[in-house]
Amino acid sequence: MTWHLTPAQVHAYASHAVDDVTAMSVEAHLMHCAPCRTLVPADQEWIDRSWADLRDVVDRPRPHPVERLLRALGLRDGTVKLLAATPRLYRAWLVSTVFVLVCALFAAHALPKGSLVFFLTAPVVPLAGVALAYGRGVDPAHTLTSITPMAGQRLLFLRTCAVLVPAVALCTLAALMMPSPTTPWTAVFWLLPSLTLVAGSLVLCRWVHLSLASGAVGLLWLVSLAVLGSADHTTPLSVVAPHTQPWWATALAALTGMLLLRLRVRTT
Amino acid sequence: MTDPNAPAVHARGVTRSYGTRTALDAVDLDLGPGVTGLLGRNGAGKTTLLRCLATDLEASRGELRLLGRDPRRAPERTEIRRRLGYLPQNPEFYPHFTAFGLVDYVAVLKEMGGRRERHDEVRRSLDRVGLYDRRHSRVRRLSGGMRQRLGLACALLGDPELLLLDEPTIGLDPEQRIRFRSLVSEMATRSTVVLSTHQIEDVAALCRRVVCLDRGRVVFDGTPGDLVERAKGRVWVQRERPREGVTTWRLADGRYRVLTPGETGSSAAEGGRVGVEPTLEDAYLLLTGVERNAR
Repeated sequence: MTWHLTPAQVHAYASHAVDDVTAMSVEAHLMHCAPCRTLVPADQEWIDRSWADLRDVVDRPRPHPVERLLRALGLRDGTVKLLAATPRLYRAWLVSTVFVLVCALFAAHALPKGSLVFFLTAPVVPLAGVALAYGRGVDPAHTLTSITPMAGQRLLFLRTCAVLVPAVALCTLAALMMPSPTTPWTAVFWLLPSLTLVAGSLVLCRWVHLSLASGAVGLLWLVSLAVLGSADHTTPLSVVAPHTQPWWATALAALTGMLLLRLRVRTT
Repeated sequence: MTDPNAPAVHARGVTRSYGTRTALDAVDLDLGPGVTGLLGRNGAGKTTLLRCLATDLEASRGELRLLGRDPRRAPERTEIRRRLGYLPQNPEFYPHFTAFGLVDYVAVLKEMGGRRERHDEVRRSLDRVGLYDRRHSRVRRLSGGMRQRLGLACALLGDPELLLLDEPTIGLDPEQRIRFRSLVSEMATRSTVVLSTHQIEDVAALCRRVVCLDRGRVVFDGTPGDLVERAKGRVWVQRERPREGVTTWRLADGRYRVLTPGETGSSAAEGGRVGVEPTLEDAYLLLTGVERNAR
Protein backbone atom coordinates (compact mmCIF):
# COMPACT_ATOMS: atom_id res chain seq x y z
CA MET A 1 0.00 0.00 0.00
CA THR A 2 1.81 3.11 -1.18
CA TRP A 3 -0.87 5.72 -0.69
CA HIS A 4 -3.69 6.59 1.68
CA LEU A 5 -6.85 8.63 1.47
CA THR A 6 -6.59 12.24 2.52
CA PRO A 7 -9.17 13.64 4.98
CA ALA A 8 -10.60 15.72 2.13
CA GLN A 9 -11.09 12.62 -0.04
CA VAL A 10 -12.72 10.77 2.84
CA HIS A 11 -15.07 13.68 3.48
CA ALA A 12 -15.98 13.93 -0.19
CA TYR A 13 -16.63 10.16 -0.38
CA ALA A 14 -18.69 10.09 2.83
CA SER A 15 -20.86 12.98 1.65
CA HIS A 16 -21.41 11.36 -1.78
CA ALA A 17 -19.61 14.24 -3.51
CA VAL A 18 -17.32 12.10 -5.69
CA ASP A 19 -17.98 10.68 -9.14
CA ASP A 20 -18.59 6.94 -9.67
CA VAL A 21 -15.05 6.14 -10.83
CA THR A 22 -13.48 7.84 -7.80
CA ALA A 23 -16.00 6.17 -5.47
CA MET A 24 -15.07 2.72 -6.88
CA SER A 25 -11.38 3.53 -6.49
CA VAL A 26 -11.89 4.66 -2.88
CA GLU A 27 -13.95 1.54 -2.06
CA ALA A 28 -11.31 -0.74 -3.64
CA HIS A 29 -8.72 0.93 -1.43
CA LEU A 30 -10.88 0.74 1.71
CA MET A 31 -11.31 -3.01 1.20
CA HIS A 32 -7.61 -3.50 1.87
CA CYS A 33 -6.67 -0.58 4.15
CA ALA A 34 -7.82 -0.74 7.78
CA PRO A 35 -6.33 2.67 8.81
CA CYS A 36 -8.30 4.47 6.07
CA ARG A 37 -11.48 2.57 6.99
CA THR A 38 -11.30 4.09 10.47
CA LEU A 39 -11.41 7.58 8.89
CA VAL A 40 -14.75 6.95 7.17
CA PRO A 41 -17.62 7.89 9.49
CA ALA A 42 -19.97 4.95 9.96
CA ASP A 43 -23.32 4.37 11.65
CA GLN A 44 -22.38 1.21 13.53
CA GLU A 45 -25.96 0.52 14.58
CA TRP A 46 -27.12 0.69 10.96
CA ILE A 47 -24.25 -1.56 9.86
CA ASP A 48 -25.06 -4.14 12.55
CA ARG A 49 -28.74 -4.09 11.66
CA SER A 50 -28.05 -4.38 7.95
CA TRP A 51 -25.60 -7.19 8.53
CA ALA A 52 -28.11 -9.06 10.69
CA ASP A 53 -30.80 -8.59 8.01
CA LEU A 54 -28.46 -9.80 5.32
CA ARG A 55 -27.34 -12.78 7.38
CA ASP A 56 -30.94 -13.78 8.02
CA VAL A 57 -31.76 -13.67 4.30
CA VAL A 58 -28.71 -15.77 3.41
CA ASP A 59 -28.84 -18.15 6.36
CA ARG A 60 -32.53 -18.92 6.94
CA PRO A 61 -33.90 -22.17 5.49
CA ARG A 62 -35.64 -21.87 2.15
CA PRO A 63 -39.39 -21.56 2.79
CA HIS A 64 -41.62 -24.47 1.76
CA PRO A 65 -43.86 -23.70 -1.27
CA VAL A 66 -46.91 -23.98 1.02
CA GLU A 67 -45.35 -21.36 3.31
CA ARG A 68 -44.82 -19.02 0.36
CA LEU A 69 -48.42 -19.50 -0.75
CA LEU A 70 -49.84 -18.85 2.73
CA ARG A 71 -47.64 -15.77 3.16
CA ALA A 72 -48.89 -14.47 -0.18
CA LEU A 73 -52.44 -14.88 1.17
CA GLY A 74 -51.51 -12.44 3.93
CA LEU A 75 -51.36 -14.80 6.91
CA ARG A 76 -49.08 -13.95 9.84
CA ASP A 77 -45.61 -15.47 9.83
CA GLY A 78 -46.11 -17.63 12.94
CA THR A 79 -49.45 -18.97 11.70
CA VAL A 80 -47.89 -19.72 8.30
CA LYS A 81 -45.10 -21.67 9.98
CA LEU A 82 -47.49 -23.78 12.06
CA LEU A 83 -49.95 -24.42 9.23
CA ALA A 84 -47.25 -25.32 6.73
CA ALA A 85 -45.45 -27.66 9.14
CA THR A 86 -48.51 -29.69 10.12
CA PRO A 87 -49.07 -31.74 6.94
CA ARG A 88 -45.37 -32.61 7.02
CA LEU A 89 -45.93 -34.03 10.51
CA TYR A 90 -48.61 -36.33 9.12
CA ARG A 91 -47.11 -37.41 5.83
CA ALA A 92 -48.10 -41.05 6.47
CA TRP A 93 -51.72 -39.98 7.00
CA LEU A 94 -51.72 -37.99 3.76
CA VAL A 95 -50.37 -40.98 1.83
CA SER A 96 -53.02 -43.27 3.38
CA THR A 97 -55.73 -40.73 2.53
CA VAL A 98 -54.71 -40.74 -1.12
CA PHE A 99 -54.63 -44.55 -1.07
CA VAL A 100 -58.11 -44.86 0.49
CA LEU A 101 -59.62 -42.36 -1.94
CA VAL A 102 -58.05 -44.08 -4.95
CA CYS A 103 -59.51 -47.39 -3.73
CA ALA A 104 -62.93 -45.74 -3.25
CA LEU A 105 -62.76 -44.30 -6.77
CA PHE A 106 -61.76 -47.66 -8.18
CA ALA A 107 -64.71 -49.29 -6.40
CA ALA A 108 -67.09 -46.59 -7.68
CA HIS A 109 -66.03 -47.19 -11.26
CA ALA A 110 -65.70 -50.97 -11.15
CA LEU A 111 -68.51 -52.20 -8.85
CA PRO A 112 -72.30 -51.89 -9.27
CA LYS A 113 -72.88 -50.04 -5.98
CA GLY A 114 -69.28 -48.95 -5.60
CA SER A 115 -70.04 -45.24 -5.13
CA LEU A 116 -71.42 -46.19 -1.71
CA VAL A 117 -67.83 -46.84 -0.56
CA PHE A 118 -66.85 -43.26 -1.31
CA PHE A 119 -69.80 -41.74 0.51
CA LEU A 120 -69.09 -43.90 3.53
CA THR A 121 -65.38 -43.11 3.70
CA ALA A 122 -65.20 -39.48 2.54
CA PRO A 123 -66.62 -37.99 5.78
CA VAL A 124 -64.31 -40.17 7.88
CA VAL A 125 -61.07 -39.30 6.05
CA PRO A 126 -60.74 -35.75 7.47
CA LEU A 127 -61.79 -37.09 10.86
CA ALA A 128 -58.88 -39.55 10.83
CA GLY A 129 -56.49 -36.68 10.10
CA VAL A 130 -57.90 -34.64 12.98
CA ALA A 131 -57.55 -37.65 15.30
CA LEU A 132 -53.82 -37.64 14.59
CA ALA A 133 -53.44 -33.87 14.74
CA TYR A 134 -52.75 -33.28 18.39
CA GLY A 135 -52.09 -35.00 21.67
CA ARG A 136 -49.86 -37.34 23.59
CA GLY A 137 -49.24 -40.59 21.80
CA VAL A 138 -49.90 -39.25 18.29
CA ASP A 139 -47.53 -36.27 18.27
CA PRO A 140 -43.94 -37.44 18.79
CA ALA A 141 -42.80 -34.06 20.11
CA HIS A 142 -45.84 -33.51 22.30
CA THR A 143 -43.74 -33.22 25.48
CA LEU A 144 -41.88 -30.29 23.90
CA THR A 145 -44.89 -28.56 22.41
CA SER A 146 -47.44 -29.16 25.17
CA ILE A 147 -45.78 -26.70 27.58
CA THR A 148 -45.67 -23.78 25.15
CA PRO A 149 -48.13 -20.85 25.31
CA MET A 150 -49.71 -21.95 22.02
CA ALA A 151 -50.42 -25.46 23.30
CA GLY A 152 -53.99 -26.54 23.93
CA GLN A 153 -57.00 -25.20 22.06
CA ARG A 154 -55.11 -22.76 19.83
CA LEU A 155 -52.63 -25.31 18.53
CA LEU A 156 -55.38 -27.92 18.25
CA PHE A 157 -57.56 -25.65 16.07
CA LEU A 158 -54.63 -24.53 13.95
CA ARG A 159 -53.56 -28.10 13.30
CA THR A 160 -57.15 -29.12 12.63
CA CYS A 161 -57.36 -26.42 9.95
CA ALA A 162 -54.03 -27.54 8.52
CA VAL A 163 -55.28 -31.13 8.30
CA LEU A 164 -58.79 -30.29 7.11
CA VAL A 165 -57.73 -28.25 4.10
CA PRO A 166 -55.73 -31.00 2.32
CA ALA A 167 -58.24 -33.66 3.40
CA VAL A 168 -61.25 -31.76 2.09
CA ALA A 169 -59.38 -30.80 -1.09
CA LEU A 170 -58.45 -34.42 -1.79
CA CYS A 171 -61.98 -35.66 -1.06
CA THR A 172 -63.49 -32.97 -3.29
CA LEU A 173 -61.13 -33.90 -6.10
CA ALA A 174 -62.09 -37.55 -5.70
CA ALA A 175 -65.79 -36.63 -5.58
CA LEU A 176 -65.49 -34.81 -8.90
CA MET A 177 -63.97 -37.92 -10.44
CA MET A 178 -66.91 -40.11 -9.42
CA PRO A 179 -68.83 -41.80 -12.28
CA SER A 180 -72.06 -40.27 -13.63
CA PRO A 181 -74.85 -39.60 -12.80
CA THR A 182 -73.06 -37.81 -9.91
CA THR A 183 -73.05 -34.08 -10.59
CA PRO A 184 -70.50 -31.70 -9.09
CA TRP A 185 -73.24 -30.46 -6.76
CA THR A 186 -74.33 -33.87 -5.44
CA ALA A 187 -70.70 -34.94 -5.28
CA VAL A 188 -70.04 -32.64 -2.31
CA PHE A 189 -73.01 -33.73 -0.17
CA TRP A 190 -70.53 -35.56 2.05
CA LEU A 191 -68.89 -32.25 3.02
CA LEU A 192 -71.32 -31.01 5.69
CA PRO A 193 -71.51 -34.41 7.45
CA SER A 194 -67.72 -34.53 7.37
CA LEU A 195 -67.29 -31.09 8.93
CA THR A 196 -69.98 -31.90 11.50
CA LEU A 197 -68.15 -35.07 12.54
CA VAL A 198 -64.91 -33.07 12.92
CA ALA A 199 -66.63 -30.37 14.97
CA GLY A 200 -68.24 -33.09 17.12
CA SER A 201 -64.89 -34.68 17.88
CA LEU A 202 -63.40 -31.27 18.79
CA VAL A 203 -66.26 -30.60 21.19
CA LEU A 204 -65.90 -34.05 22.71
CA CYS A 205 -62.12 -33.70 23.18
CA ARG A 206 -62.69 -31.38 26.08
CA TRP A 207 -63.38 -34.48 28.15
CA VAL A 208 -61.45 -37.26 26.39
CA HIS A 209 -58.27 -37.55 24.28
CA LEU A 210 -58.76 -36.22 20.75
CA SER A 211 -57.99 -39.60 19.15
CA LEU A 212 -60.57 -41.30 21.34
CA ALA A 213 -63.12 -38.56 20.62
CA SER A 214 -62.56 -38.86 16.87
CA GLY A 215 -62.70 -42.66 17.11
CA ALA A 216 -66.01 -42.51 18.97
CA VAL A 217 -67.55 -40.07 16.48
CA GLY A 218 -66.29 -42.12 13.52
CA LEU A 219 -67.73 -45.28 15.05
CA LEU A 220 -71.06 -43.55 15.60
CA TRP A 221 -71.09 -42.59 11.91
CA LEU A 222 -70.39 -46.14 10.76
CA VAL A 223 -72.97 -47.63 13.15
CA SER A 224 -75.59 -45.14 11.87
CA LEU A 225 -74.85 -46.18 8.31
CA ALA A 226 -75.09 -49.85 9.24
CA VAL A 227 -78.49 -49.27 10.92
CA LEU A 228 -79.78 -47.36 7.89
CA GLY A 229 -78.46 -50.07 5.60
CA SER A 230 -80.23 -52.82 7.47
CA ALA A 231 -83.59 -51.01 7.61
CA ASP A 232 -86.23 -51.83 4.97
CA HIS A 233 -87.07 -48.44 3.52
CA THR A 234 -83.77 -46.58 3.76
CA THR A 235 -80.25 -46.83 2.37
CA PRO A 236 -77.01 -45.59 3.90
CA LEU A 237 -76.87 -42.94 1.19
CA SER A 238 -79.99 -41.26 2.61
CA VAL A 239 -77.77 -39.81 5.35
CA VAL A 240 -76.10 -37.55 2.77
CA ALA A 241 -79.27 -36.94 0.73
CA PRO A 242 -80.15 -33.34 -0.24
CA HIS A 243 -83.04 -33.07 2.26
CA THR A 244 -80.68 -33.92 5.17
CA GLN A 245 -78.25 -31.08 4.36
CA PRO A 246 -80.11 -28.39 6.37
CA TRP A 247 -79.96 -30.68 9.42
CA TRP A 248 -76.25 -31.17 8.99
CA ALA A 249 -75.79 -27.41 8.57
CA THR A 250 -77.74 -26.75 11.79
CA ALA A 251 -75.72 -29.30 13.73
CA LEU A 252 -72.47 -27.87 12.37
CA ALA A 253 -73.48 -24.33 13.33
CA ALA A 254 -74.39 -25.42 16.86
CA LEU A 255 -71.13 -27.33 17.37
CA THR A 256 -69.07 -24.47 15.93
CA GLY A 257 -70.84 -22.09 18.31
CA MET A 258 -69.91 -24.33 21.24
CA LEU A 259 -66.29 -24.39 20.12
CA LEU A 260 -66.11 -20.61 19.74
CA LEU A 261 -67.70 -20.16 23.14
CA ARG A 262 -65.14 -22.49 24.68
CA LEU A 263 -62.27 -20.61 23.05
CA ARG A 264 -63.62 -17.32 24.33
CA VAL A 265 -64.07 -18.62 27.88
CA ARG A 266 -60.51 -19.99 27.98
CA THR A 267 -58.86 -16.82 26.74
CA THR A 268 -60.62 -14.44 29.15
CA MET B 1 -52.66 -10.69 41.20
CA THR B 2 -49.01 -11.69 41.04
CA ASP B 3 -46.41 -10.90 43.65
CA PRO B 4 -43.10 -9.78 42.07
CA ASN B 5 -41.18 -11.04 45.11
CA ALA B 6 -42.82 -14.46 45.11
CA PRO B 7 -40.51 -17.45 44.67
CA ALA B 8 -40.49 -18.95 41.19
CA VAL B 9 -41.91 -22.16 42.62
CA HIS B 10 -44.20 -22.24 45.63
CA ALA B 11 -45.65 -25.66 46.44
CA ARG B 12 -47.68 -26.60 49.49
CA GLY B 13 -48.96 -30.14 49.93
CA VAL B 14 -48.69 -30.84 46.21
CA THR B 15 -49.91 -34.35 45.54
CA ARG B 16 -50.24 -36.14 42.23
CA SER B 17 -51.85 -39.54 41.87
CA TYR B 18 -52.19 -41.87 38.91
CA GLY B 19 -55.24 -43.94 39.78
CA THR B 20 -54.44 -45.53 43.13
CA ARG B 21 -50.68 -44.87 42.90
CA THR B 22 -49.41 -41.69 44.51
CA ALA B 23 -46.41 -40.36 42.58
CA LEU B 24 -46.07 -37.13 44.58
CA ASP B 25 -47.13 -37.03 48.19
CA ALA B 26 -47.69 -33.67 49.90
CA VAL B 27 -44.59 -31.93 48.56
CA ASP B 28 -43.71 -28.54 50.08
CA LEU B 29 -41.12 -26.46 48.20
CA ASP B 30 -40.09 -22.85 47.67
CA LEU B 31 -37.52 -22.38 44.92
CA GLY B 32 -35.80 -19.15 43.94
CA PRO B 33 -32.90 -18.13 41.68
CA GLY B 34 -29.98 -20.54 41.40
CA VAL B 35 -29.72 -24.23 40.58
CA THR B 36 -31.64 -26.74 42.66
CA GLY B 37 -30.73 -30.39 42.19
CA LEU B 38 -33.52 -32.91 42.32
CA LEU B 39 -32.26 -36.33 43.34
CA GLY B 40 -33.99 -39.64 43.86
CA ARG B 41 -34.18 -43.18 42.57
CA ASN B 42 -36.11 -44.14 39.47
CA GLY B 43 -39.79 -43.80 40.28
CA ALA B 44 -39.18 -41.46 43.22
CA GLY B 45 -41.39 -38.79 41.64
CA LYS B 46 -38.79 -36.45 40.11
CA THR B 47 -40.25 -36.45 36.60
CA THR B 48 -43.80 -36.10 37.93
CA LEU B 49 -42.73 -33.10 39.99
CA LEU B 50 -40.99 -31.52 37.00
CA ARG B 51 -44.03 -32.12 34.80
CA CYS B 52 -46.23 -30.42 37.40
CA LEU B 53 -43.79 -27.48 37.48
CA ALA B 54 -43.78 -27.42 33.67
CA THR B 55 -47.62 -27.15 33.63
CA ASP B 56 -47.73 -30.43 31.71
CA LEU B 57 -49.53 -32.17 34.59
CA GLU B 58 -52.03 -30.77 37.04
CA ALA B 59 -51.55 -31.52 40.73
CA SER B 60 -54.34 -33.71 42.15
CA ARG B 61 -54.28 -31.79 45.45
CA GLY B 62 -52.39 -28.96 47.10
CA GLU B 63 -51.41 -25.44 46.21
CA LEU B 64 -48.92 -24.71 43.42
CA ARG B 65 -47.88 -21.27 42.24
CA LEU B 66 -45.32 -20.80 39.48
CA LEU B 67 -43.71 -17.42 38.84
CA GLY B 68 -46.38 -15.98 41.12
CA ARG B 69 -49.25 -17.42 39.09
CA ASP B 70 -51.76 -20.22 39.40
CA PRO B 71 -51.23 -22.86 36.67
CA ARG B 72 -54.80 -24.15 37.02
CA ARG B 73 -56.21 -20.98 35.44
CA ALA B 74 -55.82 -21.02 31.65
CA PRO B 75 -54.74 -17.36 31.11
CA GLU B 76 -52.24 -17.55 33.99
CA ARG B 77 -50.95 -20.91 32.72
CA THR B 78 -50.30 -19.34 29.32
CA GLU B 79 -48.39 -16.52 31.01
CA ILE B 80 -46.29 -19.03 32.97
CA ARG B 81 -45.52 -20.91 29.75
CA ARG B 82 -44.23 -17.74 28.13
CA ARG B 83 -41.52 -17.57 30.80
CA LEU B 84 -40.77 -21.26 31.14
CA GLY B 85 -38.19 -23.60 29.59
CA TYR B 86 -38.48 -27.36 29.91
CA LEU B 87 -36.25 -30.14 28.71
CA PRO B 88 -38.18 -33.39 29.15
CA GLN B 89 -36.55 -36.73 29.82
CA ASN B 90 -35.70 -38.43 26.50
CA PRO B 91 -37.23 -35.71 24.32
CA GLU B 92 -38.56 -36.79 20.93
CA PHE B 93 -38.58 -34.63 17.84
CA TYR B 94 -39.89 -34.51 14.28
CA PRO B 95 -37.10 -36.43 12.51
CA HIS B 96 -37.45 -34.78 9.10
CA PHE B 97 -37.17 -31.23 10.46
CA THR B 98 -33.80 -29.50 10.37
CA ALA B 99 -32.27 -28.42 13.69
CA PHE B 100 -33.00 -24.80 12.79
CA GLY B 101 -36.53 -25.62 11.62
CA LEU B 102 -37.34 -27.50 14.82
CA VAL B 103 -36.10 -24.80 17.19
CA ASP B 104 -37.83 -22.19 15.04
CA TYR B 105 -41.08 -24.20 15.23
CA VAL B 106 -40.85 -24.27 19.05
CA ALA B 107 -40.03 -20.54 19.01
CA VAL B 108 -43.26 -19.90 17.08
CA LEU B 109 -45.15 -21.96 19.66
CA LYS B 110 -43.52 -19.81 22.33
CA GLU B 111 -45.05 -16.80 20.61
CA MET B 112 -41.75 -15.19 19.70
CA GLY B 113 -42.87 -12.55 17.26
CA GLY B 114 -41.02 -10.95 14.35
CA ARG B 115 -39.36 -13.36 11.96
CA ARG B 116 -35.93 -11.69 12.07
CA GLU B 117 -35.83 -11.46 15.87
CA ARG B 118 -37.10 -15.02 16.18
CA HIS B 119 -34.47 -16.34 13.79
CA ASP B 120 -31.77 -14.45 15.72
CA GLU B 121 -32.95 -16.06 18.95
CA VAL B 122 -32.97 -19.50 17.30
CA ARG B 123 -29.38 -18.99 16.11
CA ARG B 124 -28.31 -17.76 19.54
CA SER B 125 -29.90 -20.77 21.21
CA LEU B 126 -28.28 -23.22 18.78
CA ASP B 127 -24.95 -21.49 19.27
CA ARG B 128 -25.20 -21.74 23.05
CA VAL B 129 -25.52 -25.51 22.88
CA GLY B 130 -22.85 -25.85 20.19
CA LEU B 131 -25.18 -26.87 17.36
CA TYR B 132 -24.95 -23.77 15.18
CA ASP B 133 -22.76 -25.55 12.64
CA ARG B 134 -25.34 -28.35 12.37
CA ARG B 135 -28.34 -26.02 12.03
CA HIS B 136 -29.23 -27.26 8.56
CA SER B 137 -28.88 -30.98 9.44
CA ARG B 138 -32.01 -33.09 9.68
CA VAL B 139 -32.85 -34.20 13.22
CA ARG B 140 -32.69 -37.86 12.19
CA ARG B 141 -29.03 -37.36 11.22
CA LEU B 142 -28.05 -36.01 14.65
CA SER B 143 -26.46 -38.24 17.30
CA GLY B 144 -28.15 -38.90 20.66
CA GLY B 145 -26.02 -36.27 22.40
CA MET B 146 -26.79 -33.72 19.70
CA ARG B 147 -30.51 -34.37 20.02
CA GLN B 148 -30.22 -33.85 23.75
CA ARG B 149 -28.55 -30.50 23.08
CA LEU B 150 -31.25 -29.69 20.55
CA GLY B 151 -33.85 -30.19 23.29
CA LEU B 152 -31.79 -27.92 25.50
CA ALA B 153 -31.71 -25.28 22.74
CA CYS B 154 -35.53 -25.39 22.64
CA ALA B 155 -35.68 -25.02 26.44
CA LEU B 156 -33.30 -22.05 26.43
CA LEU B 157 -35.33 -20.04 23.89
CA GLY B 158 -36.13 -16.58 25.20
CA ASP B 159 -34.01 -16.88 28.38
CA PRO B 160 -36.74 -18.45 30.56
CA GLU B 161 -37.14 -17.35 34.17
CA LEU B 162 -37.89 -20.91 35.23
CA LEU B 163 -35.77 -23.60 33.57
CA LEU B 164 -36.63 -27.24 34.22
CA LEU B 165 -34.15 -29.88 33.10
CA ASP B 166 -34.95 -33.58 33.35
CA GLU B 167 -31.83 -35.72 32.99
CA PRO B 168 -30.15 -33.17 30.70
CA THR B 169 -26.68 -34.72 30.59
CA ILE B 170 -27.69 -38.15 29.30
CA GLY B 171 -25.65 -38.87 26.17
CA LEU B 172 -23.30 -35.90 26.56
CA ASP B 173 -19.54 -36.50 26.38
CA PRO B 174 -17.30 -34.96 29.11
CA GLU B 175 -16.51 -31.88 27.01
CA GLN B 176 -20.20 -31.23 26.31
CA ARG B 177 -21.00 -31.80 29.96
CA ILE B 178 -18.55 -29.08 30.99
CA ARG B 179 -20.11 -26.78 28.42
CA PHE B 180 -23.55 -27.65 29.77
CA ARG B 181 -22.47 -26.83 33.33
CA SER B 182 -21.10 -23.50 32.23
CA LEU B 183 -24.35 -22.72 30.41
CA VAL B 184 -26.56 -23.70 33.34
CA SER B 185 -24.49 -21.77 35.88
CA GLU B 186 -24.72 -18.71 33.63
CA MET B 187 -28.51 -19.14 33.36
CA ALA B 188 -28.74 -19.54 37.15
CA THR B 189 -27.49 -15.99 37.74
CA ARG B 190 -30.88 -14.69 36.59
CA SER B 191 -33.20 -17.71 36.50
CA THR B 192 -34.50 -20.46 38.73
CA VAL B 193 -33.11 -23.73 37.42
CA VAL B 194 -34.35 -27.14 38.58
CA LEU B 195 -32.08 -29.98 37.55
CA SER B 196 -33.31 -33.55 37.92
CA THR B 197 -30.47 -35.99 37.51
CA HIS B 198 -28.74 -39.18 38.53
CA GLN B 199 -25.35 -37.58 37.86
CA ILE B 200 -24.23 -36.65 41.37
CA GLU B 201 -21.14 -34.88 40.02
CA ASP B 202 -23.38 -32.47 38.11
CA VAL B 203 -25.24 -31.70 41.33
CA ALA B 204 -21.96 -31.24 43.23
CA ALA B 205 -20.67 -28.88 40.53
CA LEU B 206 -23.79 -26.80 39.99
CA CYS B 207 -26.30 -26.85 42.80
CA ARG B 208 -26.45 -24.76 45.89
CA ARG B 209 -29.50 -26.63 47.05
CA VAL B 210 -30.47 -30.29 46.86
CA VAL B 211 -33.92 -31.79 47.18
CA CYS B 212 -34.13 -35.58 47.53
CA LEU B 213 -37.34 -37.41 46.78
CA ASP B 214 -38.24 -40.91 47.86
CA ARG B 215 -41.61 -42.51 47.05
CA GLY B 216 -43.01 -39.09 46.18
CA ARG B 217 -41.99 -37.40 49.44
CA VAL B 218 -39.24 -34.90 50.13
CA VAL B 219 -36.75 -36.71 52.37
CA PHE B 220 -34.03 -34.07 52.29
CA ASP B 221 -33.99 -30.37 51.45
CA GLY B 222 -30.78 -28.44 52.07
CA THR B 223 -27.34 -27.61 50.72
CA PRO B 224 -25.00 -30.25 49.29
CA GLY B 225 -22.76 -29.54 52.33
CA ASP B 226 -25.62 -30.40 54.72
CA LEU B 227 -26.20 -33.66 52.89
CA VAL B 228 -22.52 -34.60 53.06
CA GLU B 229 -22.43 -33.69 56.75
CA ARG B 230 -25.08 -36.32 57.44
CA ALA B 231 -22.78 -39.00 56.03
CA LYS B 232 -19.75 -38.14 58.16
CA GLY B 233 -18.42 -41.09 60.16
CA ARG B 234 -20.37 -43.57 58.05
CA VAL B 235 -18.02 -44.11 55.13
CA TRP B 236 -15.07 -46.48 55.36
CA VAL B 237 -12.38 -48.15 53.34
CA GLN B 238 -11.28 -51.68 54.31
CA ARG B 239 -9.35 -54.68 52.97
CA GLU B 240 -11.80 -57.50 53.71
CA ARG B 241 -15.14 -57.92 52.01
CA PRO B 242 -17.67 -56.56 54.51
CA ARG B 243 -20.63 -58.41 55.97
CA GLU B 244 -23.98 -58.53 54.15
CA GLY B 245 -26.49 -55.75 54.50
CA VAL B 246 -24.30 -52.73 53.85
CA THR B 247 -23.67 -50.80 50.64
CA THR B 248 -20.20 -51.53 49.35
CA TRP B 249 -18.14 -51.68 46.19
CA ARG B 250 -14.64 -52.76 45.30
CA LEU B 251 -12.18 -49.97 44.57
CA ALA B 252 -9.46 -50.02 41.92
CA ASP B 253 -6.77 -50.75 44.56
CA GLY B 254 -8.58 -53.90 45.73
CA ARG B 255 -10.01 -52.42 48.93
CA TYR B 256 -13.73 -51.98 49.64
CA ARG B 257 -15.60 -48.72 50.17
CA VAL B 258 -18.31 -49.31 52.77
CA LEU B 259 -21.31 -47.17 53.64
CA THR B 260 -22.78 -48.06 57.01
CA PRO B 261 -26.15 -46.84 58.19
CA GLY B 262 -26.35 -45.62 61.77
CA GLU B 263 -22.66 -46.00 62.70
CA THR B 264 -20.36 -43.17 63.63
CA GLY B 265 -16.59 -42.68 63.65
CA SER B 266 -16.10 -44.33 67.08
CA SER B 267 -15.15 -47.69 65.55
CA ALA B 268 -12.76 -46.24 62.99
CA ALA B 269 -9.94 -48.67 63.59
CA GLU B 270 -12.05 -51.89 63.82
CA GLY B 271 -11.15 -54.66 61.39
CA GLY B 272 -8.49 -52.59 59.67
CA ARG B 273 -11.03 -50.20 58.30
CA VAL B 274 -10.30 -46.54 57.91
CA GLY B 275 -12.88 -43.75 58.01
CA VAL B 276 -12.80 -41.47 54.97
CA GLU B 277 -14.44 -38.17 54.03
CA PRO B 278 -17.81 -38.84 52.44
CA THR B 279 -18.65 -37.54 49.00
CA LEU B 280 -22.03 -36.23 47.88
CA GLU B 281 -22.61 -39.57 46.18
CA ASP B 282 -21.97 -41.44 49.46
CA ALA B 283 -24.39 -39.15 51.25
CA TYR B 284 -27.03 -39.63 48.56
CA LEU B 285 -26.65 -43.42 48.65
CA LEU B 286 -26.91 -43.44 52.43
CA LEU B 287 -30.02 -41.31 52.28
CA THR B 288 -31.90 -43.23 49.61
CA GLY B 289 -30.37 -46.68 49.73
CA VAL B 290 -28.76 -47.83 52.93
CA GLU B 291 -31.09 -46.14 55.36
CA ARG B 292 -34.08 -47.71 53.71
CA ASN B 293 -32.47 -51.13 53.47
CA ALA B 294 -31.70 -50.92 57.16
CA ARG B 295 -35.29 -50.24 58.18
